[in-house]
Amino acid sequence: MSLSLLTALEPLKDTLPVVEMRHVTISFEGPPVLSDISFRVAPGETRILLGPAGVGKSVLLKLINGLVKPDHGEVLLFGDEISTMPEEELFPIRARTGMVFQEGALFDSLTVRDNVGYQLIEEGKLTGEEIDAKVHESLRFVGLEETFSMFPDSLSGGMRRRVAIARALINQPELLLYDSPTGGLDPITSTNIISLIVKQRDVRSTPSLLVTHRLQDAFTMCTHRFDAGKDEMVPLPKGETDAKTTFMMLDEGRLIFDGSLHELLHSENPFVKEFLE
Amino acid sequence: MAIQTLDRTAKQIVLTVQDYSIFAWQSLMNLFRPPVYWSDFLIQSDVIGVGSVSIVLLSGFFTGAVLALQSAATLSAFGATNVTGRFVSLTMIRELGAVLTGIMVAGRNASSMASELGSMVVTEQIDAMRALGVDPLRKLVTPRVYATITMLFFLTIVANAFGILGGAAVTVFLNHQNGTQYFSMAWEGLHFRDVAQGLVKPLFFGYIIASIGCFYGMKTTGGTQGVGRSTISAVVTSSVLIIVADFLITHVMLSLWPS
Repeated sequence: MSLSLLTALEPLKDTLPVVEMRHVTISFEGPPVLSDISFRVAPGETRILLGPAGVGKSVLLKLINGLVKPDHGEVLLFGDEISTMPEEELFPIRARTGMVFQEGALFDSLTVRDNVGYQLIEEGKLTGEEIDAKVHESLRFVGLEETFSMFPDSLSGGMRRRVAIARALINQPELLLYDSPTGGLDPITSTNIISLIVKQRDVRSTPSLLVTHRLQDAFTMCTHRFDAGKDEMVPLPKGETDAKTTFMMLDEGRLIFDGSLHELLHSENPFVKEFLE
Repeated sequence: MAIQTLDRTAKQIVLTVQDYSIFAWQSLMNLFRPPVYWSDFLIQSDVIGVGSVSIVLLSGFFTGAVLALQSAATLSAFGATNVTGRFVSLTMIRELGAVLTGIMVAGRNASSMASELGSMVVTEQIDAMRALGVDPLRKLVTPRVYATITMLFFLTIVANAFGILGGAAVTVFLNHQNGTQYFSMAWEGLHFRDVAQGLVKPLFFGYIIASIGCFYGMKTTGGTQGVGRSTISAVVTSSVLIIVADFLITHVMLSLWPS
């Protein structure tokens, strides 16, 4: 899809988009960090946001669930315009999303159990035993059941990210936001994390937006699927890609690309070409 | 250039005061709308109140002791050493008990609040909390504000009591005067207006300590260095504001109940 087509924002055929940004601009005491950003995330879709460090990828993710507010433009989450919504009204909407922060952002004074079950504990609808069962289930999904009673500072960087994923998944969110989930990790741990994200995409079909500057992770997500029988990520047949995983690219605060893997690889945009090289 | 700098600084100050006013007001009003985190209030009461007992007790005791030492030396020149008890109790209850306890608790707890919340801000834990649908102002700030107000009230009473005891210890063991006379003078010299003045102040001081500590913590920017800056600012600002507020409250109270 070309950028001109993107800005036209044709209505999606099936249902309302989970996320929609319309001409969003934001700045922090200086030139705009993001300028005139428009895109959509459809139900079941996984969008990968690429770009070098410092171009505003994390800010864009925080705009989506209202952690920061735009100077101009509209942000629609689950159909609600959130950019002008007061903080009080945002909490129940945010609770429907799951967010994995760059460094995990685990509460260091709480155990893994209390971190993963935080949202359920605060909601106060479930008993302690029910919360424990859900925490175990979520930790089993990321392969870290044994860390149940541990504190975050006794976990490795990769384990902390996986616990953060477990925390984001526990309440079965309707949208997942991943902020550089593999940043600063070794290749093997990164692949494990990507495998978990692919698992969530293919098993639960949760729409998601993943921010990364690592091309390898982005391509792996597009060229692999999760095999539930083998309980592992396997490559798609040669030449096939996951149709619901698409790409966007930011440069100097502007969205310069929005399209499929094939379109990304054949883009004529000089920055895209340079980034891919 | 200088005018531009002045203009920018003035705007920054006005903006900070405005932000603080909204923050402090909301932190108080959150008590009247659910959810209210009572368990966090109890935990913070334990951390702030019970945790500060030893420093308040020691500072109160030795302040009373030094007051007795100093006053006895001065009062003996007028042959009025028998009013040492009255001097110590009035000074402790009306003024020093509340102010010293406030400053001690500010040093211990405003710094701890600013650094704890500041660390949570720079490690995105506050954002994570908001992303999980929990209001950090309700969860972290409101319990601290009410816990500090409540506990500072009781800590001031402890400081006053131990201040008078410290004065008694000096009067009896160092100045070799009559203990019964000391306590009798301490009691007789007190009026409702003195006790009211001494017990109204910690309510305001507690609010200042917690709201300033949490405000600087929540506004932290600039990584670990920023946490350090917030901690220093929280202690300095809350200590200065306690002394300023003490003057204003004393002025109002003396207008209401002239001596």
